[in-house]
Amino acid sequence: MRKKTKITIDPKYILVIILLFCVLIGIISYRFEDKMTPIRSVVENVIAPMQKGINTVGKRIAEQRKYFTTLQTEVKKNEQLQEQLNELTIENKQLRQNQYELDNFRKLYQVDEQYANLPKVAARIISSDPDNWSNTFIIDKGAEDGIKKNMNVMAGEGLVGIVIRVNNSYAKVRSIIDDDSEVYGTILDSSENCIVSGDLELMKNGVISVSGIDKNAEIEDGAEVVTSQLSYKYLPGIPIGYIRDLEKDTSNVTQKGYLTPIVDFSSINMVFVITEVKASNELEEILK
Amino acid sequence: MKRFISMFFLIVIGFLLQTTVFPHIQLLNVIPNLLIVLTAASGFMWGRKFGLFTGFLCGGLMDCMYNDVIGICIFIFVVIGYINGIANKLYFEDDLSIPLAAIAISDLLYGILYYICMFLMRGRLNMISYFLNIMVPEAIYTIIFGIFIYKFIHWLDGKLYPPEEVSLDHEENKLFS
Repeated sequence: MRKKTKITIDPKYILVIILLFCVLIGIISYRFEDKMTPIRSVVENVIAPMQKGINTVGKRIAEQRKYFTTLQTEVKKNEQLQEQLNELTIENKQLRQNQYELDNFRKLYQVDEQYANLPKVAARIISSDPDNWSNTFIIDKGAEDGIKKNMNVMAGEGLVGIVIRVNNSYAKVRSIIDDDSEVYGTILDSSENCIVSGDLELMKNGVISVSGIDKNAEIEDGAEVVTSQLSYKYLPGIPIGYIRDLEKDTSNVTQKGYLTPIVDFSSINMVFVITEVKASNELEEILK
Repeated sequence: MKRFISMFFLIVIGFLLQTTVFPHIQLLNVIPNLLIVLTAASGFMWGRKFGLFTGFLCGGLMDCMYNDVIGICIFIFVVIGYINGIANKLYFEDDLSIPLAAIAISDLLYGILYYICMFLMRGRLNMISYFLNIMVPEAIYTIIFGIFIYKFIHWLDGKLYPPEEVSLDHEENKLFS
């Protein structure tokens, strides 16, 4: 004898219900972003610690892969050289930055602080996006460590991205190579403004796109781009990358080209979060 | 019921692997999509309801953790799960070519739907480039992993439900067993 007669619903009605639910929750999460944070933080608090644990396995696999492709000794030598190179580039950058600070920056923008002196928090990347379409990752520092939304993230001496969501102990970062990302930048030598935007199509060549440069500006390949004073989310003076192959836009008003980021996004494990949000309340009010 | 529970754990493990280990083994800037394999396989093997269940969980996880708008991935995954559930009629235990084709088509469909939802809407019109550089390599890479995962799910299902219980029209009989 059967204990209960089970209620069976045709799967197609379930499908319709779920699809309607998707539309509804999509609208809610788009319109009222804050309402979704409890759900998100529950999921994140369950998943992220597990990711943190497994990530060490991933790193080990990455290392193993490295050994497979190159000889062990060569890797070591390479690492030493890389270290030396990093030190030298940092030193070089520092010198250039100092000189630049003295010469131009202060006069032009009256900035009295450099990104190097800003308070930073080191964080480890514990997981990255599960698909091939976007470029975001989760770091193991959150609101408890003083991280807030819209804080800038750096690695080495270049800009990595921006914090877009904060949980108690985790934060999500969108990198500048993400297709959704846009950064307002300034070209160092000529102080021309430009827009640096991520582009999935260009990513396979290791570059992102830069546009909106004045058509009369004469900029050489290799000119360095830093974040602009005008940006209302990014602190000024953080290096982004180097410009190349500029050409006139189809509109014939501006120039566009490619930008090679300073940070090697394929191999970052550690990042620094600048624990200072750009004070842009006034700007936001004006924009409203 | 055992299937739902085992599927739940498989999804969590798959999601963890995909976000932590797989970024380190990417080829051509592309990582395989385990969640699609799970959704397609469960829908294909066990019918529409399972496809919906797996798709909902996979999409929900992805949306909650990584997307700005919740709902888009749920939508895509649920549709894929449902379509694979329809293809359940073609399911035979020993055949491997049809499920792999189903996984490949599902992955391409995921790519196309995601492209339409997230990229086409923002005016990125060069579909062929995205198709050749992301969707196709991802599908190929996914199939390679799909073979093993499909075999594994198959083996697991055999352990959970010994063979004599399995009948050909098992979608109707076994869904809530």
